[in-house]
Amino acid sequence: MPRDTLADLCDEALVVLYANGDPDAARLLAKRLVPRVMGYAARMLADRAEAEDIAQEAMLRLWRVAPDWRQGEARVSTWIYRVVANLCTDRLRARRRQRAEALDDVAEPADGAASVVAGMIEADRMAALDRALAALPERQREAVVLRHIEGFNNPEIAEILQIGVEAVESLTARGKRALAAVLAGQRAALGYEEAE
Amino acid sequence: MDDLDDLLTGAKAVSMPPSDALMARVLADAATVQAGFVAVRPAVVVARAGWLARLAAVFGGAGSLAGVSAAAVMGLVFGFVQPDGIGAVADIWVGSDVAQLDLMPQVDVLLAEE
Repeated sequence: MPRDTLADLCDEALVVLYANGDPDAARLLAKRLVPRVMGYAARMLADRAEAEDIAQEAMLRLWRVAPDWRQGEARVSTWIYRVVANLCTDRLRARRRQRAEALDDVAEPADGAASVVAGMIEADRMAALDRALAALPERQREAVVLRHIEGFNNPEIAEILQIGVEAVESLTARGKRALAAVLAGQRAALGYEEAE
Repeated sequence: MDDLDDLLTGAKAVSMPPSDALMARVLADAATVQAGFVAVRPAVVVARAGWLARLAAVFGGAGSLAGVSAAAVMGLVFGFVQPDGIGAVADIWVGSDVAQLDLMPQVDVLLAEE
């Protein structure tokens, strides 16, 4: 099938085409999904190398399940995020078992020294956000990232995390409050006070 | 909270492009798994065309064969039933009253008794 036509297809149709042997379907699916799932895994694990491993593993599971994929039963995006969420949970549990928690490895945010505040750029804000996210309990972090960064709605998050919609609402609300509390002490470092 | 919303909105816009090496590994996995699908897929057996299909091909397809068949059936019906309208049409074509139309007069010679 021509690539121009493939680009118009939804992920679910591409999975079926891939299962039928279309060589370009995999390329397009990888282009769409890998950056998203890798970004999500990186935010969950605060480790790019581990995030890449998880993205590859999640995509491998998608390739393997492709012949059994039934269109209309599930969305590829929610399915693969669920796989990534489970893989991240496994990694985080392994870390805890090894008593090598991610927070110990993450450098503390810099003080609000004048030179730092003056030199703060958007990348630093993102780094601060990632550090703050890493400080949240795992479930809250998942819910906040899926809702506010990955852009899923609550029913989709419920499907990904395999919990109820009410639980999602509670997790996102508590997660966002906790995130605000963590970042409250860094307002100066994040350069927000000057804007007010 | 507005600052936090700004921060989250900014994070949404930040993309994390995967490395070329990762994409290569993902696509290599895809090709390997896909090759397995092709290997286990049963060979497609092309069925030999049946006699009806071959007959239809002689007449230029199933549509043409259906037309020929319909004409043959209608010919038989008109032959047995001989509706009144047929005589009128024959009169127009032949130009006289037609009770019996001899389509092969030369055969009479062969059939005549000596």
